Amino acid sequence: MKTKFNRDTFRITEAGNIGKFALIAGVAGLAISAAGYLTDSKQFFYSYLTAFTFWATIGLGGLFFTMLHHLTSATWSVVLRRMTETVMATLPMLIILFLPVVLGMHDLYHWTHKDVVEHDAVLKSKEAYLNMPFFFIRTALYFVVWFLLSRTLYNSSLQEDQASSPELTMKMKRVSAPGMVLFGLTLTFASFDWLMSLDPHWYSTIYGVYVFSGTVLAILSFIILLAQYLRKQEILEDVVTVEHYHDLGKLLFAFTVFWAYIAFSQFMLIWYANIPEETLFFDHRWHGSWKAVSMIILFGHFVVPFVVLLTRAAKRNLLILKVMSVWLLVMHWVDIYWLVMPNLHKEGAVVTWMDITTMIGVGGLFIWLFWNRFVSQPIVPVKDPKFAASVQFENI
Amino acid sequence: MKASAETTALQAEDGQLIAGNPTFHTVSESISRIVEVKTTKAWYVLFGFFSSIALIFVAMIGYLFWEGVGIWGLQIPVAWGWAIVNFVFWVGIGHAGTLISAILFLLRQPWRTSINRFAEAMTIFAVICAGTFPGIHVGRVWVAYYMFPLPNQMSMWPNFRSPLLWDVFAVGTYFTVSLLFWYTGLIPDLATLRDRAKSKIRKAIYGAFALGWRGSHRNWQHYELAYLLLAGLATPLVLSVHSVVSFDFAVSNLPGWHTTIFPPYFVAGAIFSGFAMVMTLALIARKVYNVENFITMRHLENMNKIILVTSLMVGYAYSIELFVAWYSGNPFERFAFWNRATGPYAWAYWTMVTCNVIVPQVFWSRRMRRSIPVMFVVSILVNVGMWFERFVIVVSSLANDFLPSSWHYFKPTIFDVGMLIGSFGLFFTLFLLFLRFLPMIAMAEVKAVLPQANPHYYEPHGNGKEASVKAGSHA
Repeated sequence: MKTKFNRDTFRITEAGNIGKFALIAGVAGLAISAAGYLTDSKQFFYSYLTAFTFWATIGLGGLFFTMLHHLTSATWSVVLRRMTETVMATLPMLIILFLPVVLGMHDLYHWTHKDVVEHDAVLKSKEAYLNMPFFFIRTALYFVVWFLLSRTLYNSSLQEDQASSPELTMKMKRVSAPGMVLFGLTLTFASFDWLMSLDPHWYSTIYGVYVFSGTVLAILSFIILLAQYLRKQEILEDVVTVEHYHDLGKLLFAFTVFWAYIAFSQFMLIWYANIPEETLFFDHRWHGSWKAVSMIILFGHFVVPFVVLLTRAAKRNLLILKVMSVWLLVMHWVDIYWLVMPNLHKEGAVVTWMDITTMIGVGGLFIWLFWNRFVSQPIVPVKDPKFAASVQFENI
Repeated sequence: MKASAETTALQAEDGQLIAGNPTFHTVSESISRIVEVKTTKAWYVLFGFFSSIALIFVAMIGYLFWEGVGIWGLQIPVAWGWAIVNFVFWVGIGHAGTLISAILFLLRQPWRTSINRFAEAMTIFAVICAGTFPGIHVGRVWVAYYMFPLPNQMSMWPNFRSPLLWDVFAVGTYFTVSLLFWYTGLIPDLATLRDRAKSKIRKAIYGAFALGWRGSHRNWQHYELAYLLLAGLATPLVLSVHSVVSFDFAVSNLPGWHTTIFPPYFVAGAIFSGFAMVMTLALIARKVYNVENFITMRHLENMNKIILVTSLMVGYAYSIELFVAWYSGNPFERFAFWNRATGPYAWAYWTMVTCNVIVPQVFWSRRMRRSIPVMFVVSILVNVGMWFERFVIVVSSLANDFLPSSWHYFKPTIFDVGMLIGSFGLFFTLFLLFLRFLPMIAMAEVKAVLPQANPHYYEPHGNGKEASVKAGSHA
């Protein structure tokens, strides 16, 4: 069944089968992964955490992009706003999908074992932070913040669809300003808690910024793919024009470089200072086949997209952008895999079927939630005062 | 009432960039006049004052060369003192100019046109002040050329693995690109001054620097292309220069210096202090030279927003550093930060936190963002705070290092203080010369953001595209 679109109301009238397919894939993916839990629970939890983080960063990217749009009073991105808003609105739902991580705490996080902590002076000294109750309180707090921010922003945006008013525009700005501060803090501490504490002895102050840089790339890639999917269905093909893709391409390029800058800063400083407790992180990732994964990240996450996206022509070529978005999403997954998995497979990289099924499982449910919400409302903020200007926007 | 306040707020954001509805001619007139009228007495007084201070700087440098770096308050373990603090401080100041000229240009922020010229000038002068300090710190200045990798018969090379050498390249590149960028932007304006010149000699000098600019279509096309390319090249420099400066500290093993967040943290701090300096200069210049129509409240408010954002980034870095020092479980890390906040330099640490993190929070309020006395005070406090930030990083980490027997309290000498003040003398001397001889606002660029610069401005109404082609709406 083909997706149908009403050009006057900007609503998708017949949503097609995407939601249904995504739900089936999600449930099936998780069900098969559950079988993995029965055979190798440790592997299951590590794979699951990787998949969960991947989709959570896309959701967080939606929140970031939406708030940045409001704060900078941008015009060009108005036509993309409802897409990023819907991604953002999906984020709080992930709290339900976080439950397997809670169940797997003991398999994932070394510091949850009381007996280990007792005999480890370093872990003992940070017990005030790394303990289970506080971990749960913090995670709940992150989701509460994300829920409140995304709900307020999303609802105001829908309200604007009825009747636009300066108060609503200002309200979204006002929420976004402190929202951005909260976003920065929650993203940082979530990355410390969920990812960095997998190796509880190791620490790096730039870690939050590193995860953030990947998050922005993930949402940009996701939006490019979504807009191109709609374009193929002849939806918004004259609203999201090549000019918008060009701008998305510029940001994709800029954040590819930003990611490399942050990754290099972290690597170079640790390599140079050569303090054993810090170099261990890279030592693990330079061991056996992990070395190959590290090289894939260096070339795949930076060199290739840098060269490909450098020219103006490439940023205005929808096919190149599509390929690079898929590429960068794959690289984003490899990057998270590289952060998580060496804690389990110390001898070398191992990709199991659970890595794939958990991605399909969490991803299917994420897409299902996203798509159902997306088709239930106009897919652009029609009454935004800058909507017409955004459609006509041109790079000069 | 509330609704109308918000409507005004939004309209202010969308409204004209330049107030007073000037024509192309009045723009040239009001900016060029500043450098064409007879030099005022006040200018001579200020120039005399600041160049005297700059002379003290020169004299002190002479004494330093004669006597050696022992005239500073340096003692082991604090072998790096105010000279490095001043170096980092001045390099940081420069960053706002590059951000305004390069990044805001690429991000299509047309409001930058009113402030970019003197912000870029500030960049160049700040880098000159910065470059002086490592140059005079080397001890044997007569072999300062060893800093450059010059082929020589002794096969002596600088240590390519040292971030100090990377600094030479980073700051050198930065200075060159900033100068080229500034000069490229100046060419059309220099031609305007040439065309307006009344005396032959004036015409010859401005004419030579205008490189034969005729304002033809082809001239403009080349100009725009060069400007865009330079903006693209300068953008990574905004991040790389201060990152390399941060490497000077962060590659070491010293707690308080070695932390991975340093590169982006230093960059944010640099932009923060740079904007504060632009603000201080802009507030004085717009009043003295009567260019309030060009640097309007909207420009000032936007700059205050950037100051607030970068203040929050710096605050984030302070907090994360502090948290991770505790989280590391490493007693040396923990001590370094505990000592900063409660030890002998606690007064400096809390000055830094107050000026950099607490004070700029007033800019959450729109009224404060638009109050000139408030922003003037804040901009100065921010620069005080940012100087202290570098002082805290450099001195407090070194003074209490691994051997408690060698700990001591760093005391600056008269030469430390004199050279800091002297560098300000040099900076303002150069800045006054700039104000006197070059157009402080980019006339050609300002003309391009006037509504009548739009090719459709004189067309009859009703083509349905007016909303989008209004100057300044391409945000």
